[in-house]
Order: sequence, then structure tokens, then C-alpha cells
Amino acid sequence: MDFRSSHVAQLYQAARPATQPGARDQAQGAGEAFARVARDFADTVRQGEEAAKSTMTGDADPYALVQALAATELAVETAVTVRDKVVEAYQEILRMPV
Amino acid sequence: MSDFARTLALSASGMQAQAARLRHVSENIANADTPGYHRKLVSFGEVVEGGRATGEVETGPVTLDRTELTRIYDPSHPLADATGHYDGSNVDLVVEIADAREAQRSYEANLRMFDQARQMHSALIELIRR
Repeated sequence: MDFRSSHVAQLYQAARPATQPGARDQAQGAGEAFARVARDFADTVRQGEEAAKSTMTGDADPYALVQALAATELAVETAVTVRDKVVEAYQEILRMPV
Repeated sequence: MSDFARTLALSASGMQAQAARLRHVSENIANADTPGYHRKLVSFGEVVEGGRATGEVETGPVTLDRTELTRIYDPSHPLADATGHYDGSNVDLVVEIADAREAQRSYEANLRMFDQARQMHSALIELIRR
């Protein structure tokens, strides 16, 4: 495979827009998806809390409690892991010698 | 809802159904000596929401076992008729114990599924943790 410099320059030019802050709608779509995930997470945690509360007051079955708490545990685990990964990636970028 | 969360809900419904079954078995055993007692039977059914089966299980209405009551000979019993017999219950303890054991095994199976779904999810998340 041969790499001609003109071809590479062309490709580079074509890829330039990706680094521009103008790619608005993409960022917006990602932001929306992230907001949805965050909302799902908050809902799961809230359900777990509700189940725990109603069990304490004595009007919920233990199965609902265990299920809600297990779901909360999984959700929190996922969120914490993803957060750690994102923070790690950010720090990795910060450490990059410029 | 993810598949893992669904599995948790399904297993929880299974455990709940088996617990209800065990409750009726214990009712039967408690009333084994009650005159005229018909043993209770639990039916299981799939949960249907909006015309579609969700996959969860629930206990249906309780029915009574229609087999003949045992005739017990005891002339001193207050309920005894002219021949000295009275109607006991139709509870067979062997059947009830077997039913209870079956409920236990089924409960354990659901519990395992619950735990496995949790472990599988944790293992998946563990992959990106490093």
C-alpha cells in the first residue's frame, strides 16, 4: 500500500472538522443520551430507596426490596466504574506532554 | 430495563410464588387434624400485562382438593355419627412434605438464577475496571 503525501493531506483536511467545536448536533445527541442514562440511574436508585423505606414501615414484600436493592447495586456499580474510567481518561489526557 | 434487571424481577416473582405455595402447604399441614378440612391447592400462572405475557409467574386462585374426606372411627368424638365415625381432613402428610420440598428446590433454583444474573453483571462491569 502506498501513501502519497497529497492523499494523506486530503484525508487530513477531510478529518479536520472533527476537531472543530462546530459539531454541535452530535454533541447534543451524546448529551441527551447521557442525560437519559443518568435519569435511568437516578430512577433505579430512587426505586431502591422507596422499596427500602416501605419495607421499614412494613408494607412491602421482601422480594421487592431485595430486587430493588440488587438493581440499585448493579446500577451504582456500573455508574462508579464508568465514572472512574472517564476520570482516568481525563487525567491521562492531562498528563500528556505537549 | 436491561436483561439482567429483567432476570432479577423474574426470579423474584418465582421466589414469591414458591413462598406462597409453601404457605398453603403449611396451612394444610397445620389443619391435618381439622375435621372436614379440604386441602388447598395452589395454581401457577404467567403474569399478563396489556395482553402480553411478561414471563413472570404468579399464584392463581386457591382451589380445594375434592377427594373424599377420610372417615375416622372414634365414638367418643363430639362429631361422631351413629356409627361412631366422623369426617377428618383429606390432607396426606407425605404429599404435603413432598410438595414443601419441591417448593424449596424451586425456590433455590430461582435464588441461584438471581445470584447468577448479579454475578454476570458484576463480571461484565469488572472487565472495564481493570
